[in-house]
Amino acid sequence: MAYSAAVLDRVRNPQRVGVLPDAPEVGTGEAGSMDAGTFARIQVRVEQGRIVAARFKVFGCSAAIAATGLVAEWLEGASLAEAGLVTPERVVQHLQLPEERVHVAAVAVDAARHAVRDAGRRQDERHD
Amino acid sequence: MIYLDHHATTPVDPRVFEAMRPYFTEVFGNASSRTHHAGWQAHDAVEKARKQAAALMGADAREVIFTSGATEANHLAIAGVAAAAPQDRRHVVTLVTEHKSVLAPVARLVESGWQVTELAVPPGGIVEAGAVAAVVGPQTALVTAMLAHNEIGVVQPLAEIVHIAHAHGALVHTDAVQALGKLPVDVHALGVDLASFSAHKLYGPKGVGALFVRRGVEKRMRPVVTGGEQERGLRGGTLNVPGIVGFGAACAVASGEIADEAARLEGLRDRLWAGLRERVGEVSLNGAMAPRLPGNLNVHVAGVEGETLLLGLTEIAVSSGAACLSAEPSHALLALGLPRDAALSSLRFGLGRGTTAEDVDQAVTHVAEVVGHLRAMAPAARASAGVRG
Repeated sequence: MAYSAAVLDRVRNPQRVGVLPDAPEVGTGEAGSMDAGTFARIQVRVEQGRIVAARFKVFGCSAAIAATGLVAEWLEGASLAEAGLVTPERVVQHLQLPEERVHVAAVAVDAARHAVRDAGRRQDERHD
Repeated sequence: MIYLDHHATTPVDPRVFEAMRPYFTEVFGNASSRTHHAGWQAHDAVEKARKQAAALMGADAREVIFTSGATEANHLAIAGVAAAAPQDRRHVVTLVTEHKSVLAPVARLVESGWQVTELAVPPGGIVEAGAVAAVVGPQTALVTAMLAHNEIGVVQPLAEIVHIAHAHGALVHTDAVQALGKLPVDVHALGVDLASFSAHKLYGPKGVGALFVRRGVEKRMRPVVTGGEQERGLRGGTLNVPGIVGFGAACAVASGEIADEAARLEGLRDRLWAGLRERVGEVSLNGAMAPRLPGNLNVHVAGVEGETLLLGLTEIAVSSGAACLSAEPSHALLALGLPRDAALSSLRFGLGRGTTAEDVDQAVTHVAEVVGHLRAMAPAARASAGVRG
């Protein structure tokens, strides 16, 4: 098994690692578990139906770091509708993930979906 | 790139290379050719090397059988003794932490109806003599245990094991590959019957090793590679003259430097361990600290995933608790009781002749940076169940 340059570059020079300051516009999503070896947390800041910032933290193999970083990159600047188009298949394809590491793409995308949903829920609460 | 993987292999010492050089092109005879000068020259060179190697092992030159390496030496010891064992002695004892080149030929004996005991080890990795005594009996043909471990560096109590095994008439073999040239080795003082060695672990060439066969023990063995009468009939095949000359030269160099070098490496190893504890933090030692090879350190780094750690360490050559990217943890680390993920995020440092204090400090800095980077990327422990998930 060998990683693509896309994976290695994202591990060595990760972008958007970190946390967003807590605010009503910020949603947080988590997926996976430390015990299972892959755990991702993604945060998004949503303003007027668009994700203006995305940050992540991840514990896992190189593929997991690259996948979560890629998902955060795709989320930032996306509309909520566009965010829904981020799928594990696209992540696998973009990073050329080896067969044994395909599952980590689903963890990253799950974390992203939970984050977007959480942001929506918090905004709904504000409007209640 | 800072090379800290001297348990895997070592560079050929320039003094060794110079000693070998004439034996490729000028002195090219077959050491078994007894009818002309070219053969005699090669023969003399081999016998000189045999004396040099024997001196470092504490053996008599006639007790050294040259092989293609330690894997072959381990096979000759185990399969060779097994082939000559009487029907009522078909039991072999080994340790779960042994090198695969011992465990594989031992496993093959099971296929021929042998009883095999793979002894577990305590968390420190050093077998209790009592555990050996509990399993060795009159049916035991062979006990095999590594002198100094290739991953965690711990030194087994071979003299005690020999005492127990000999009381039952069993032979004792030790894979002494990592010990030779690093620790004083004296096969006769240890009392072992068979011991495997490899040239490339002590700044000699790859592709040459040796099996020490204590005088008289050859009567309890059969050759594995047959078809030639070389090496007292125990190992057929044309001798690798330049390789053997290199092995001898490497032993001669090591015998002159071993005491000073061991002390120097121990100091560097302690510096590395102190540096990792101070600057990386949350590191724990795998295996007992002593007795251990002076240049060995095997540590578990908490809070990072093993594969990512290894891929991140681009400036140092170390070995991990896994074969690279295979995600299969080391059987030896698992045998110490480490969980799978801890074994995978363990690093083996092997310091050697070329290692300097500056190398050690740079390695510590690099590991601290990479681990810090990975730990910063990792989320804190998961928030309580159901929250924002």
